Amino acid sequence: MNIVVCVKQVPEVTDAELEINKEGAEILKEDLEFDINEWDNYAVEEAVRIKEAHHGKVTVVTLGDEDCADVLRTALAMGADEAIRIDEQGFEFSDAAGIAQGLYRAVRDVPFDLLLTGAQGSDDGWAQVGLTLAELLGIPYASLVVGVEIGEGTITVHRELESNTQEKVDMPLPAALTIQTGINNPRYVSIMGIQKVRRIEIKETDSEELGLSEAEIGSQGSRVDSQKLSLPPVGEGADILTGSLDEICEKTAQIIRDKGGVM
Amino acid sequence: MDFALSKEQRDIVRAARKFASGEFPDRALEFDRDETFDLDLWRRACELGFAGVFIDQAYNGAGMGYLEHCLITEEFWAADPGIGQAIISCTFGSELLLLFGSEDQKQLILPQLVAGKAMIATAITEPDAGSDVTMVATAAVRHGDEWVINGSKMFTTNGSLATYILFFCRTDPHNPSRHARHSFFLVPTDTPGFKSKKIHGKMGIRASDTAEISLSNVRVPLTNLVGEEGAGFHQLMAFFDRTRLHICAQAVGLARAALEESIRHTKERSQFGAPLASFQVTQFKIAEMATRIRAAKNLYYEAASSVDQGTIDPALIAMAKWFSAEVALQCADEAVQMHGGYGYIDEYKVNRLYRAAKLLEIYEGTKEMEKTIIARSLLG
Amino acid sequence: MDEILVLAEHRQGELRDITFEMLFAANTLGKENDLATAALLLGHETSGLSGKLKGACDRVLVMEDPELAHYNADQYLMALETAIKDRKPLLTLIGHTAIGMDLAPAMAARLSLPLVTDCVDLSLEEGRLGVLRQIYGGKINAQLAMKPSDHYLISLRTGAFDAEVEQGKSGDVETIPAPAWTNLRGRQFLGYVEAELEDVDIAAADILVSIGRGIGKPENIPLAQEFADAIGATLSCSRPVADEEWLPKSRQVGTSGKTVRPKVYIALGISGAYQHQAGMKNADTIIAVNKDPMAPIFAIAHYGIVDDLAQVLPVLTEHFAKK
Repeated sequence: MNIVVCVKQVPEVTDAELEINKEGAEILKEDLEFDINEWDNYAVEEAVRIKEAHHGKVTVVTLGDEDCADVLRTALAMGADEAIRIDEQGFEFSDAAGIAQGLYRAVRDVPFDLLLTGAQGSDDGWAQVGLTLAELLGIPYASLVVGVEIGEGTITVHRELESNTQEKVDMPLPAALTIQTGINNPRYVSIMGIQKVRRIEIKETDSEELGLSEAEIGSQGSRVDSQKLSLPPVGEGADILTGSLDEICEKTAQIIRDKGGVM
Repeated sequence: MDFALSKEQRDIVRAARKFASGEFPDRALEFDRDETFDLDLWRRACELGFAGVFIDQAYNGAGMGYLEHCLITEEFWAADPGIGQAIISCTFGSELLLLFGSEDQKQLILPQLVAGKAMIATAITEPDAGSDVTMVATAAVRHGDEWVINGSKMFTTNGSLATYILFFCRTDPHNPSRHARHSFFLVPTDTPGFKSKKIHGKMGIRASDTAEISLSNVRVPLTNLVGEEGAGFHQLMAFFDRTRLHICAQAVGLARAALEESIRHTKERSQFGAPLASFQVTQFKIAEMATRIRAAKNLYYEAASSVDQGTIDPALIAMAKWFSAEVALQCADEAVQMHGGYGYIDEYKVNRLYRAAKLLEIYEGTKEMEKTIIARSLLG
Repeated sequence: MDEILVLAEHRQGELRDITFEMLFAANTLGKENDLATAALLLGHETSGLSGKLKGACDRVLVMEDPELAHYNADQYLMALETAIKDRKPLLTLIGHTAIGMDLAPAMAARLSLPLVTDCVDLSLEEGRLGVLRQIYGGKINAQLAMKPSDHYLISLRTGAFDAEVEQGKSGDVETIPAPAWTNLRGRQFLGYVEAELEDVDIAAADILVSIGRGIGKPENIPLAQEFADAIGATLSCSRPVADEEWLPKSRQVGTSGKTVRPKVYIALGISGAYQHQAGMKNADTIIAVNKDPMAPIFAIAHYGIVDDLAQVLPVLTEHFAKK
């Protein structure tokens, strides 16, 4: 069972105060920490688990600058076997279709039974690349996967639906899955894993080598003309309670009593 | 001159940080209050290869350097000094075995340490011998094909948990050189006559075990002598030249945590209508902490990487140890100050950092001893 | 007249709220830009559903086929492709839901259409589409201007528009033939897997105390439970808490969990990703406690406390214990 996993490096924003650049086109990333996209981390773990149970090889692919090799090394240390980095030059301001084109060109000649991506990115949240890739490859797929069972030439998956419901679908291999968080418990990277990475050379490629023209990727290839970022209005709804902790709690208790009918 | 860590070193930092920040914070308060620890955390750290990365590959170690061990130590201590110490200290003594142990001793012990099957400890301090280690009176006497050891040790890290302990003993009390009177012995803790008692009431790093030990007619074979008879003092100095690097990493990790907590708190907490972080008095403190931490880090990186490259400069190592410990204390002190009353409560991390910090100026060479070493290198 | 095509979403015989939210958006945009609204109903034995749609759109297009009995990407892609090619609408709206997320990207790739997912607002100026999205977990708004196109595919965030769409229209119901199922890739629907038996029904609670990632560790949950007990509330949570298995999945509020509408919803350490907001924003009163003053939850909360919940909870509980 050979598996390809597409991963992405994203800034950690949960606890960060975000600022926007002067042009309003991007957030300022200088002070942010970067890590593997949370969904992708679950996808890597799932791939490695499947490989451990069914043998085969896991190849991780990313599109990004040189620093993005960090997430590839993390995935290799978790148990992936090979890695490909597509240099981001030329892909700046690509939309999801442009990114999917780059990944498609890089993986189409890699023999695989399963292609995994995270269900979405924690940055732009397009949730498009995985299925666009499946369509370009012409293979069956399932999104928002929270459970996987491998059969004989087939795969059965649980998809997460709304309202705490799942559906069960199956399909022939090769197939593409986008992985939802919570499907597994991703492992920590070990020192042995890190040492293993020494022996692996990350393959490097770029848009030119992949035969992509300027018209297909980057801002030219994108269907988005422009993007203007802004900070959402702060607490427009909330009346922020102030005072000492005790005063704040007194007010809150009163609100709960008034609104909730607590005796 | 290149101040950057290698890619692999950065990977190690990230891996250690993820493990520590994922596993330690949930347990830190409980261990601190109850003076307990969950050995499963140690075993998991070993499974992930974080224990003793400087141990050679011939003994199942990672064959990395002391700098890599320091990087892991720094991250573990930044997450929680108590748990960090409880895990990191489990190989304390392997440095001595690597330097002076026999092949049999190394083959027996080192793989067990890496695998999380055994801990090693090193017992030096005695009720009447602290900084002046030449006063150590625990006596080892040869009887036929055995050494018989009698005496007592104080403040032995992991003294009640370790499977093997290296004892610094007096073997030649009448030797004219004070530096030729001692030797190291390897004692399995199941040897008859060995007794340990956990010490309670430590101010900080309370997840880490500390014990007093008594040895009463403990008999070990001649082969349990470590290296040469009478070489103990010099072995000990060489040992400290490695392990003091780890203290630097502990200190920098602790100081970093103090800075992080201070930044978080002063941005969140408002007084006089503005966040604390907006006051210049806070800003200057934060700036000073960050600068001191950077200086301490660069100093110990230099010391550790020169050891890894084969240059042992005891004065440089002493400078790094004294300075980084002082920085840790300063940062912990300011962090508590900025937290106000909250910092005086043990639920707050800065409280644990403050209590842990003082030890850094005491163990493995007090700051006074470090300064003595530095001065001697300058004044002769 | 140009058209906005809305893919009606239904499951197990029920139209889902997103369908009406999309119709609301389509009708609003249609009114301003002289566009008709057509609802596309794909399914099998759906006769009961078209009646509920026709009051809210200008045309209901029904494609009936046993192959469409349950949502399946293979068949839906072909069916939607057929409808788009047939109708040539300016916009096609799909829900950013478990169905829409599964369908829209592949549809866009297959027909080479511009696709914008997870939109919270739409506008048209001289035939050019503008959309508002939220990125970085709701911390940043992104206003996108799209390049000109004859057709756009849009997926709309659940809860971004009102589901109480005006029922003043009387759309014709037209049947369109199903395609020959020739381009299927072998995906099969096997069945639904319902949630495990639940210990409590959070949807029935009058007051919910809900915890998120900010609770920090499972050891803090008793703090929240004590508070909930003190005010007679039920404990619920956001996704990260359920993912960590600190509380059962049945306690999760949000799109993949439950939708709740209590009298009072107290969000503790919940940043307020839209998936969570979608499940609770209709609560009568929302009180949010979060350390991050920029947390998106404050945008929909009625009252906010910017502080560490570990500090606030014991004091708050005390205020009720005293009584």
